[in-house]
Amino acid sequence: MSANTWLATGNFYTTYKQEQKTFFTSLDRSVFTFFLIILFAWPLFFPLSNKFMLVIDNTLIAVVAVMGLNLVTGFAGLISIGHAAFVGIGAYTVASFCRTMGDTHIIITHFWPLMIILSGLVGAGFGAIVGLPALRLKHLYLAIATLSFQMIFQWVINFMTFFNQGQTISVGRVFWFTGKVGRKDHYFFWYYAILVVVILLGFGFRNLLKTRYGRCLIAVRDNDRAADAMGINPGLTKVYAFALAGFFAGVAGALHAYVYRGVGFESFTLHESIGYLAMAIVGGLGTLNGSFWGPVFIKFLDLQMEHLSEAIGQYLPSGMNLTTAMKPFTFGLVIVLFLMYESRGIANWWRITKSYTKLWPFRY
Amino acid sequence: MKSNKIFTALLVLVVMFAFTSSVNAGGKVYKLGLSLAITGPTSDAGNPYSKGVEDYFKFANETKILGDDKIDCTIRDDQYKTDITKRNFEDYLDQGIVLYLNYSTGSTLGLKKDFEEEKIAVIPASFHRGNLENSNYIFLPVASYSEQVIVMSEYVANNHKGGGTPKVALFLHPSAFGRGPLADTQAAVKAGLNIEIVEVVEHGKDLDNTAMLKRLMSKGVQYVISQTIQSPVATMLKDAQRLGLSASSFGEEGKLTFLGAHYTGGNDLIALAGAASEGYFWVCSYNLTSEDTDGTKQQLALAKLYGRDDKAANSHNYANGIMVAQVATEAIRRAKAAGLKVNKANLHKILNGMNGANAYHPYTTVGPVTYSPTDHAGVDMLQIYTVNGGAFKKVGVPLQSAFMGKIQ
Repeated sequence: MSANTWLATGNFYTTYKQEQKTFFTSLDRSVFTFFLIILFAWPLFFPLSNKFMLVIDNTLIAVVAVMGLNLVTGFAGLISIGHAAFVGIGAYTVASFCRTMGDTHIIITHFWPLMIILSGLVGAGFGAIVGLPALRLKHLYLAIATLSFQMIFQWVINFMTFFNQGQTISVGRVFWFTGKVGRKDHYFFWYYAILVVVILLGFGFRNLLKTRYGRCLIAVRDNDRAADAMGINPGLTKVYAFALAGFFAGVAGALHAYVYRGVGFESFTLHESIGYLAMAIVGGLGTLNGSFWGPVFIKFLDLQMEHLSEAIGQYLPSGMNLTTAMKPFTFGLVIVLFLMYESRGIANWWRITKSYTKLWPFRY
Repeated sequence: MKSNKIFTALLVLVVMFAFTSSVNAGGKVYKLGLSLAITGPTSDAGNPYSKGVEDYFKFANETKILGDDKIDCTIRDDQYKTDITKRNFEDYLDQGIVLYLNYSTGSTLGLKKDFEEEKIAVIPASFHRGNLENSNYIFLPVASYSEQVIVMSEYVANNHKGGGTPKVALFLHPSAFGRGPLADTQAAVKAGLNIEIVEVVEHGKDLDNTAMLKRLMSKGVQYVISQTIQSPVATMLKDAQRLGLSASSFGEEGKLTFLGAHYTGGNDLIALAGAASEGYFWVCSYNLTSEDTDGTKQQLALAKLYGRDDKAANSHNYANGIMVAQVATEAIRRAKAAGLKVNKANLHKILNGMNGANAYHPYTTVGPVTYSPTDHAGVDMLQIYTVNGGAFKKVGVPLQSAFMGKIQ
């Protein structure tokens, strides 16, 4: 192997530590750094309207939530169809503080990073509790257990007066070093805040997979009895997976509460849980980059279908029913097509593209 | 040479077409936005509502109600999801709307702070009284759900047959929309409204209400007032008929008389419940096409003009949509007539001044639209209807709640 990492033509590892590196070559690191710079810089040069900034914020929040779902379903092999409820736990943690202290209390408006972390921790706590049935249940039965958590969550929120019986609970505007984040800069500000969260959690996720615990997840997914024989505690691993998924979801929920400046029950229903699952499947279960591709694809498909419906609606005003029905129809169709023809999701296309460009222009 | 001439002629035609279709003969275009559930939950109401809005604005533009100026109202489906409503609202703001039409209770409450910050007048399809709390910019088209339920309760108190205090059960949708009138009705009872609320039922998605109806009977309930949507009411009515519990006339002793607010009734209820809907009492601020009036003739003519089917044309939610479009158009017309610039601030001002001699009389409602800085409920008059021979017929004249003023 060349001593100069820029000239390396292959990965010739001599130690396990080398294999654990996040970036294998300097080129990898440079490309990634350049990509991050673009992510931070583009809104300054190409400002978007509030609508599109909201869509992007919302997509990034979904990325955080889907990372959690991918951890528990993709890597640990535990089906969770109550993920929106975990996101809701995070959002309602913020909302609970707003209800008890007022939505403009300094803790809500100034210590919002702490609120986000706290929401993640509460989500992790609930995740661990919901994960307990995973000690005894598997496959479809476990899915039903998570579904029941979703139902319990919906019922509690919808009927408890503390949670305003599912009606919107307001969340105040936050403060930054420059002062109060006003309406004009709201979505712009939260783009950067969420982007930082996504990067931190993304690195955390990636590093986790290189640890003993990350390997435990995969071992338990592939064969929990074999994992047990190898000295891994499958029960603890499963509960831990749910707790971590709950943490990611809780953080996503808190971000949702702040971006939308309110928490209402409709954003955390079973339908949303299925949406998260669809994003994970379309993106690619069991891959980190799938957690990015899925939300981006589904959210933008949704938006494009809306634009298409609108365009058709202009020419067929009485055909509005038909055009608006295209959105849910396309959503369902995309999932079915992915399950049929590309069950490994968009992440697989990314893998193929990467391996092609790695060898290009050489065929072999 | 010949082909060049043909090409030039075509080019001229294309340019002419482009200009004639996009230029509005020097008039101004006022942007409005409507976000509502055309698909998903409550779309049975949202769908005809959107058609009403669309048709009336088209009619207003074609008949030059605003002269050469035109209204451009973008209508988007939000599938009854507040997240999507918020996105639509942000988009409309980016487009420069001067007035916003919203739909659901949840999204109206959820976006209330945004409306305040943007200082934009909003007319929702939700009549939830909570929309008006801490709000200066939300204008309900008609009397609130609370007022509707209280009017029904007053009707029960005034027309109760038999001795003692009439025993009432409230049948509510398990949401802010359904629960809204509960506290107000209880307050009216405390203020002297002579009914006893024996039970409050928050319905689920039950396909059979036998147990509930038997329980209500065992508690001596004689009247069931609903604040929900049509389908659970239809299920309840059919079950009551099957069990022989439906009153054949208002307040028949030992039987149940069913009553309900705006979104519980209409032709959809009759279609769902069939003969079981006979004798159902319903309160609404809109004229119904089952009654032949000038207003309903205009509504049907509008529907015919734009090729709507009978279902949409005869829907009270179609009338509802027309009405909010009428109010928006009238506000713009008045702003222009007063020499004011048509913008958010002036439309808010015009709406607040829509009272007294300036009250607006749309053909779709049973009374005038009256807004003031302290009263953001539009049509205060409510008409009671009952199903008679498969159609809703008027019961008496439009009335106003006596107790609503006491509890506000």
